[in-house]
Amino acid sequence: MSDSTTAATGIPKEIERFNIIFRIQHVLMFTTFLILSFTGWGLKYAHDPEGLSSIWIRIWGGPDTAGLIHRIAGVTMLFDFVWHVIYLVYLFATKQMTINARTTVIPLPKDIFDVIKNFMYFFGLSKEKAKFGKYSYAQKFDYWAVFWGMFIIGFSGYALAFPMQVSYIIPSFATGWIWELLGLMHSDEALLAIVFILFWHFYNEHLKPEVFPMSWIWITGRISTEQLKHHHPLEYELLFPGEAKKEKKG
Amino acid sequence: MSQKTLAVAAAPLLFLLFLLPSPVFSQESETCLDCHNAMKGTIKAQSGAMVDLNVDTEKFKASVHEMLPCTECHLKFFDASHASSGSAVPSDILSLSSKISAKFSSDPVAGAACVKCHEEAYQKVLSSVHGKNIIEKKQTDGALCADCHGSPHYITKAKDGKSPVSRKYQVGTCGKCHGNQEIIEKYKLEENVMDSFSESFHGRKLLLGHTRAPVCSSCHNAHDIRSKSDPLSPVFGKNKLETCGKCHKGANEKFVPAITHKRPGPIPHYGEKLLILLTMGVFAFIVIHVLLEAFADIRDAVFRKKEDK
Repeated sequence: MSDSTTAATGIPKEIERFNIIFRIQHVLMFTTFLILSFTGWGLKYAHDPEGLSSIWIRIWGGPDTAGLIHRIAGVTMLFDFVWHVIYLVYLFATKQMTINARTTVIPLPKDIFDVIKNFMYFFGLSKEKAKFGKYSYAQKFDYWAVFWGMFIIGFSGYALAFPMQVSYIIPSFATGWIWELLGLMHSDEALLAIVFILFWHFYNEHLKPEVFPMSWIWITGRISTEQLKHHHPLEYELLFPGEAKKEKKG
Repeated sequence: MSQKTLAVAAAPLLFLLFLLPSPVFSQESETCLDCHNAMKGTIKAQSGAMVDLNVDTEKFKASVHEMLPCTECHLKFFDASHASSGSAVPSDILSLSSKISAKFSSDPVAGAACVKCHEEAYQKVLSSVHGKNIIEKKQTDGALCADCHGSPHYITKAKDGKSPVSRKYQVGTCGKCHGNQEIIEKYKLEENVMDSFSESFHGRKLLLGHTRAPVCSSCHNAHDIRSKSDPLSPVFGKNKLETCGKCHKGANEKFVPAITHKRPGPIPHYGEKLLILLTMGVFAFIVIHVLLEAFADIRDAVFRKKEDK
């Protein structure tokens, strides 16, 4: 929690939303994601030796080098993912993190109702937007999309990068079709991930009028109490119950 | 002008010597090319095959065969337009020419003459599935030398990059027949091989210019190509372990099915359909959500400003 508090209310001006470890994990995730997207794109759309994808791959040092870059970035991303999961386990084990309906990133029925509520607001059927806890449904979607991507793209990518080692653990009934499926999974879901980041993440964290050009939380890790009250009112009420009550009465 | 300055001035002209026809370029070829370089069009041979009369001197000189005299391969002429009918054809070439006459009908003797220098490769082709189709089944399909390497007049080295059997063009060369629906149906060949290769990781990497990506001959051999049901084929059963192992050290039986030329089975096929459905569904949701949210924000900014205050 921040040391600087406003004299008038006695609550901090800003609070820590993501600690330094989560911030590093995020930076590792998006740098490797960009490198993987750039180098993989050329291979996915390789149709013509003189075409755009060939030129694009040459910019990355030719197919041999681009393949090596792609593998290094992929392994780094998988390492980042494993680190994140182990860190979460550590946080739970040491009780530094507990599950609370208002702060958890786990999807809850409330998120479905929030989506419906927001759609009604978009259409003018409701006067109020949904009120979120620490993570809105958009942010939960963002977070779990990475998990989906890591399982589908990450593991298929690992199998494709090290086919010999992985082939030993593949059950014999699957050898006839698994490789074809792994290739399709890797490339189709990678396209989904790129589209998802371009539209969903970029709009919500960069283009939205209230955050444009971007939300700075990924660097500072801090969110102002004012923003917290506005965007995450349920978390605000949880953290500062006295203050929230006072405001309601006022 | 002194003799010395004249020598200095003339010296650079010496390089013109290099531009003169190389001495190995046969005098006899020169004589034939005097006419054939200028000739255009085709003529009907005795067998009924159409023969292209033109031989491009420039391209011939750039080929690996530029030092050979024409009569090295064109041993005999069966028409009246040439002064001499040529030399007597050796019996081995004559018998070979009759074997391949179904295929190489324009001048079977010239088609057989490749064996004079390329004995080993030629014998491999004759015992290959391509050669047997011509010799035993008397078919006009099935590749002989010129089908893959192009006209013997213009053959360049495979490593040259312009050759039809080079890394760049080989797949397309094989595809002339293996992508041809008529031939695929006639011989019940595996369908879809060209597409499945170009969609595979090997094919994509090759197309982008990967230096170690395989071409057709890397796995199927070049001259001694055999059916995949022939135990001598490098892609027959357990032979794959060795063939794949050339690049993938330690290839095991679970690894080798990774590359096939079969149409994708039902699981990858419907798996992909499912993935596409998922992608389109997610895409539709996020695009609609983002657009509606943006419009709602604009609406609020324009129409509801006062209500808030």
